[in-house]
Amino acid sequence: MTPPIEKGIRGWLDVTGGIVGVLLLVQFVTGVLLAFYYVPSVDHAYTTVAYVEKVVSSGAWIRALHHYGSQWLSLFVFLHVLRLFFTRAYIAHRIQWIVGILLLGFVMAAGGTGYSLPWDARAFFSTRIAEGLMAGLPFVGRMARLWLLGGSDISTITLSRFFALHVLVIPACLIAVVVWRVFRGEMFGPRHAIAGGLVFLLLAFWSLKYRAPLGPSVVDMTADYLPRPGAQFLWLYQSLKYLPGGLGSVAGVALPGLVLLILVLLPWLKQQRLIGGAILGVGLVLVVVMTTASYVSDHRNPQTSRQLAIQAAHEDVWRREPFKPATITLTATPGSESASGGPPEMYTKFCATCHGPNGEGARQGRLNFPPLLDVSTKPRRTVDDIVGLLKDPPAYGLQPPMRSFSNKLTEQQMREISEWIVKLKR
Amino acid sequence: MMNETAAMDHERSRRSFLKLFPLGILAGVFASIGGAAFRFLRPKLFAATDSWLDVASVSELTGPQPLARKIVAEHIAGWAITTEEHNVFVLPAKNNQVLSAVCPHEGCEVAWDQNTSRFSCPCHESFFAADGARISGPAPRGLDPLPMRIQEGKLQVQYVAKEQATRA
Repeated sequence: MTPPIEKGIRGWLDVTGGIVGVLLLVQFVTGVLLAFYYVPSVDHAYTTVAYVEKVVSSGAWIRALHHYGSQWLSLFVFLHVLRLFFTRAYIAHRIQWIVGILLLGFVMAAGGTGYSLPWDARAFFSTRIAEGLMAGLPFVGRMARLWLLGGSDISTITLSRFFALHVLVIPACLIAVVVWRVFRGEMFGPRHAIAGGLVFLLLAFWSLKYRAPLGPSVVDMTADYLPRPGAQFLWLYQSLKYLPGGLGSVAGVALPGLVLLILVLLPWLKQQRLIGGAILGVGLVLVVVMTTASYVSDHRNPQTSRQLAIQAAHEDVWRREPFKPATITLTATPGSESASGGPPEMYTKFCATCHGPNGEGARQGRLNFPPLLDVSTKPRRTVDDIVGLLKDPPAYGLQPPMRSFSNKLTEQQMREISEWIVKLKR
Repeated sequence: MMNETAAMDHERSRRSFLKLFPLGILAGVFASIGGAAFRFLRPKLFAATDSWLDVASVSELTGPQPLARKIVAEHIAGWAITTEEHNVFVLPAKNNQVLSAVCPHEGCEVAWDQNTSRFSCPCHESFFAADGARISGPAPRGLDPLPMRIQEGKLQVQYVAKEQATRA
């Protein structure tokens, strides 16, 4: 019944499936745990992820396990497929082969949807790129984009869709595939367990040492922010630099889809060794070369490496700051009895058009006006500073369109506005 | 013959060990995540806020009937500061005592029924008199009074959450 256990080194090459199994279980367990705090809504996603990182016991470790686990899983599923190819599993163990290919597709899909969930700057760009890749598809591009976003633009509905795909649809597919594999193949052996356990141990220590990255929130993102995808997508990220427009969609979505389809059908094709070898060989070379190229180009370009270092330093600073809770108002008459009270009349008259009726910031065309919430936590923003700033913005490092209000507001009115602004909290 | 049986026994125990071994390693993996999961999911207790919340001006609190009012309380829970409204009843006839509308049975909110002059709970049919005392039903006691004070002509209370209220 059970196939003979291979002896020696060949037997140990056989363990990639065990490692994939253990890593998949780790992803499921840590994913379920993260779902206990995460909220898939654009106004709270970032806050809840920050809460897990900063406040919840073991939260940073659990999130790092999930984050790096997804990258390691992609690597080991790929190695698993290579191993299956070299042992000609597509002839002798068709189910193992098909399961391996399907796992590769679903694991990459899970990674792609997962990057959007924290709704930080990286998520913002990752979602934009997913949108662009879909939109560029020939014939179906327009509809694919609308269906992915759930509307004409990226919104909180988009985040809900990525969330549902990431935690319900894709895991259901993964479970189905794994169950199929478990019932139709030999069970998990001791070597699988040893290899899986060792890789988990490495991942556990890795995740203790390295925190899962969390970029600035979309609100605090600056124009010079450089997004970088997770390690398993660096090949795609780097390739997109060389491909003009719509070709990116073909390379990033259509081609991988076609390749996976051919690989799934490999057991029924002729010239299996040639087709499979060509696809996997080109794939391996592409992934290794492009991933290396992306690290090298980031490292070589002084401007890029300086900006990435600045971002890492910003993230360090952010980690040391105390957690800032979100404010939720569940009253029938919002704001009427809030502690800070309504804005002064002069604020509404002169400031609200740009900074929002309650200091939440606003966007006009291409201009992004900053929110005033939490402004008092920044340096040089006491009541006296803000009064001074209203008189002479350049002296406080502000640029047009912010202008001086010396001839519009009295000293008393400026003070009223400033005293109201410093009380604004997120 | 004996030797062969012994060898088979040995082989069988080796096989059963080999079956248990992977389970042991998996158990180890999940024990380490499980320990973290326990700390991760452990509920966080938050200190009750002891701030005084405005209910109404004393001057408007007159008449024999309980008066329904809303208080707005801030709760810090996990990643959010939640501002919520809570229903309370002021009893002008009883020196402006303030009762929580939360039924001491299972925590539904009682309503004042003017026709029968009593509070009734919509969930399990507990009834309370106009002064909050229990009349009938499964509630273990009358409606809970909230700590109150009068400051500059305003009636103020401290909100007490249900968990604390039912502990008595």
